[in-house]
Amino acid sequence: MIELINISKRFGSTTAVDSISLKVESGEFCCLVGTSGCGKSTTLRMINRLIEHSDGEIHIDQQPIRSFKEEALRRRIGYAIQSTGLFPHWTVARNIGLVPRLLKWPKSKVDARVEELMTLLGLSMDEFAGKYPDQLSGGQAQRVGVARALAADPDILLMDEPFGALDPITRESLQLELRDLQARLGKTIVFVTHDMDEALALADRLVVMHEGRIMQQGHPLSVLREPANDFVASLLGGEDRGLKEAALLPVSERMMPLGTGGVARERIDQGASLREALSVMLWRRVERLAVVDDDDIPIGELSFRRLVGARIHD
Amino acid sequence: MTDHWAGRWRVPVIWGLLLLAGCLLMGQLEALFRWVEPDSRDVIFSRVDFLVLLGRHLLVVSVAAVLATLIGVGGAIAVTRPGGRDFLPLVAQVASLGQTFPPVAVLALAVPVLGFGTLPIVVALLLYGLLPIVRNTLAGIEGIDPSVREAARGMGMTSGQILRQVELPLAAPVILAGIRTSVTINIATAALGATVGSSNLGDPIISGIVNGNTAYIVQGAVLIALLALTVDSVFARLAPARRA
Repeated sequence: MIELINISKRFGSTTAVDSISLKVESGEFCCLVGTSGCGKSTTLRMINRLIEHSDGEIHIDQQPIRSFKEEALRRRIGYAIQSTGLFPHWTVARNIGLVPRLLKWPKSKVDARVEELMTLLGLSMDEFAGKYPDQLSGGQAQRVGVARALAADPDILLMDEPFGALDPITRESLQLELRDLQARLGKTIVFVTHDMDEALALADRLVVMHEGRIMQQGHPLSVLREPANDFVASLLGGEDRGLKEAALLPVSERMMPLGTGGVARERIDQGASLREALSVMLWRRVERLAVVDDDDIPIGELSFRRLVGARIHD
Repeated sequence: MTDHWAGRWRVPVIWGLLLLAGCLLMGQLEALFRWVEPDSRDVIFSRVDFLVLLGRHLLVVSVAAVLATLIGVGGAIAVTRPGGRDFLPLVAQVASLGQTFPPVAVLALAVPVLGFGTLPIVVALLLYGLLPIVRNTLAGIEGIDPSVREAARGMGMTSGQILRQVELPLAAPVILAGIRTSVTINIATAALGATVGSSNLGDPIISGIVNGNTAYIVQGAVLIALLALTVDSVFARLAPARRA
């Protein structure tokens, strides 16, 4: 658990972060979002003391972070950044094994861990272990960066726009993998991004920052539905918020049992989002979709009225 | 593996053998030098054996190079640490100043203080050789991608570990190039030592100038050139092999 209590950071006469309080529960995925210069990266970097906070207290598992030695603190917190920061003179395997080696794990344990992580992140040992960072694509390098951050099995992972420099397709697949990884490993993640779709897709807790202050925090859906002010509303997409909300809700949420009127011709997977369902309706010019399971068997149907959430039962 | 080694070191070995042959077999070329310098009685410099001169030359250059490397790399590291950053512009300027002083002027100033002999030439070479090393070490360390340093800190490396495992290895090729420039320049400059009583391969040249003996000058110059080529080609191969 990470707890920030009235944290401020001043650089000279400017205040980058102004008395913010934030609690991230264990196993929670917390996204910090905001415009450039809103203090989100500064906040992240104060947690592992790459930047020292000016006022307030930061606790990790109830202990103030200043009670740890800086290096010891950082070795128990994973850290991944947009530019990866992989060491260009080290192979992929050596880069990943960095923190375990700093913690003086025996060599056999380090090697086993490196192999485990490479498998976890879909990097084949044979192909990548001996490669150097400049021989990797952006997506591969970022996988290595994430593997390195996870190497010593930290409870906490700090990520500063890790997917910001990737193409949309690679970014989306890494987002899905990260989400999946977090569900399996139960890490506490603090993730900085200015990409609102990314934040909405990943976060359990969304923290909207502006000019060094927290404007609003909460579950992405509740922030979307009840923005605290105009700034939050516009940052979340203004009139696009309906689509963003639909992207967070699965089809199964609004699905009805199969009716008697026969199965609709156009189909949608039950795992798809309402946004995708809406897109299919717009594209196919239909108002009714058959919802199918993984084996393409119809299990329900979705009408346009249900999709937009019209209160049919009233 | 041995083939690889032999291929890698072939050029320096060839230059080195030519240099040795030059030192040992200069006497065999008497007829050639007689043709160059028909009026002189002696056409082969023989006051001191060439091998001894070579040894002394190497010693002076090595001592100056080791000192210049220690001071230059050490100084450049010191001013790139958080505590020494304020001195960075000063050190960069002093190092540049060192090279604007002609070595002859340094010798002229050093002799009254340090006396004749080897010490003034070592001081002159040290000052003269410092700039390329300081400049390249600064460039090498400052040139490292800031995100690499950021990640190193974020992973929990201590500043000593970052210096040894990240900064120095990444800057090494640039630093090595600086040492190479410094040493190669100083092999030629060291010949000036002969004017202040430090005997080395500059002896035949100075003696040749004083006595109007072109053959001596050629002998000294050729040996110094061969030494410079040998050492330079060794440095060229010390640079880390580009990985496959």
